Amino acid sequence: MSLGKLLLSFCQWASHSSFGHGVRDSVWLFPCIEICHLLALGLLGGTILIVNLRLFGLRFRSEPVAELARDVRPWMIGSLGTMLVSGFFLFSSEAVKMYGNPAFRSKMIFLALAVAYTFTIHRKVTMSAETDASPLGRKLAALVSLLLWAGVGLSGRIIGYV
Amino acid sequence: MFFVNFLTWLHDTGFSTTLRESTWAEPIIETVHVLTLTLFLGFAVLLDLRLLGVCLRRRPASEVLAQLNPWLGGSFAVMLASGTLLFCGDPVAFYTTIFLKAKMILLALAGLNVAVFQATVGRKLREWDTAARTPRGAQVAAMVSLLLWVLIVAAGRAIAYALPPP
Repeated sequence: MSLGKLLLSFCQWASHSSFGHGVRDSVWLFPCIEICHLLALGLLGGTILIVNLRLFGLRFRSEPVAELARDVRPWMIGSLGTMLVSGFFLFSSEAVKMYGNPAFRSKMIFLALAVAYTFTIHRKVTMSAETDASPLGRKLAALVSLLLWAGVGLSGRIIGYV
Repeated sequence: MFFVNFLTWLHDTGFSTTLRESTWAEPIIETVHVLTLTLFLGFAVLLDLRLLGVCLRRRPASEVLAQLNPWLGGSFAVMLASGTLLFCGDPVAFYTTIFLKAKMILLALAGLNVAVFQATVGRKLREWDTAARTPRGAQVAAMVSLLLWVLIVAAGRAIAYALPPP
C-alpha cells in the first residue's frame, strides 16, 4: 500500500468515525472547537514567542534562557496538546476534503517539522548553559523556530481559501 | 440614526469599496488579525498567569509587566488597526450583527478591568512584587481578564460565522 493510499484511508476512517459525523452534523461543535483551537493558538504562540524573543536578546534579558523556557514549558505543552486535539476533531469533520487540500498538507508537514525541531534542537539550545551556545547560534535557533511555526500558521490560514 | 448614516457614508467611500472588492485585502488583513493573536493574546494570558502566580513566578511581577507591556501595546495596536480595516470593508453589514456589538462592549470591559487594576492593587505593586502569593485583587483582575478574552475571541469567531464571506 502506498503512503498516499494509507493517508487517504486514515482520512476516510476519521471522516466516517462517530466524532467525524458528530462534528459535521452539529451546528455548534465546529465553531466551539474552533474557538478552543484559536485560544490555544494564542497561548502556544505566546510561549514560543517569549522564548524566541529571549533567544534574540529582545526580552527578559536578565532571566537565564533555560529558566524562562522551563517556566513556560508546561503551558506550551498544554496549549500544543489542546491545539492537536481540537485540530484533529476539526479535521475529522472534513477529513477526505482535507486530504486533497494542498494548504492542509503544507500545514501538516510544517507542523511535523516544527514539533520535531521544538523538542530536539530548539530544546537543546534553550536548555544549554548560557555559555554553551553562541549568541549567533541562539538567534539562528530562534529564527528557525519562528519560520517553522509561521509556516504552520500561514498554511492553516490558507486552508479555508483553497 | 446619525451613526447608521455615517456607516452608509463609510461603506460608499472609495476606500471601503477598494477593501471590499479587492481579492487579497480581506484574506491578508484577517491573517494579520488572527496571527497577531499569538503575540497579543499569548502575552496577555502569560501576564494573567503571572498575576495568578502560576507562571513566571521567579520574576517580580513588575518586571514581567515591564517586559511584556511594550509588546502587548504594539500587538494591540496591530489588532486594533487590522480589526478596524476589516470593519471598514463592510461597515453596514458588520453593524447588523450582535456579535460585533458584544465584542466592542467586552473590549471596553477589558480596558476597564486594566484601569481598575492599575488604580487599585496595581498601585501597590511594590508591596507584593516578589510575594509567594499574589494578592486576591490581582488574581481577580487576572481571572476577569482571562474570561473576557475568551469571550472576545468567541465573539470575534461568531462575527465570521454571522457574516460569511461573499
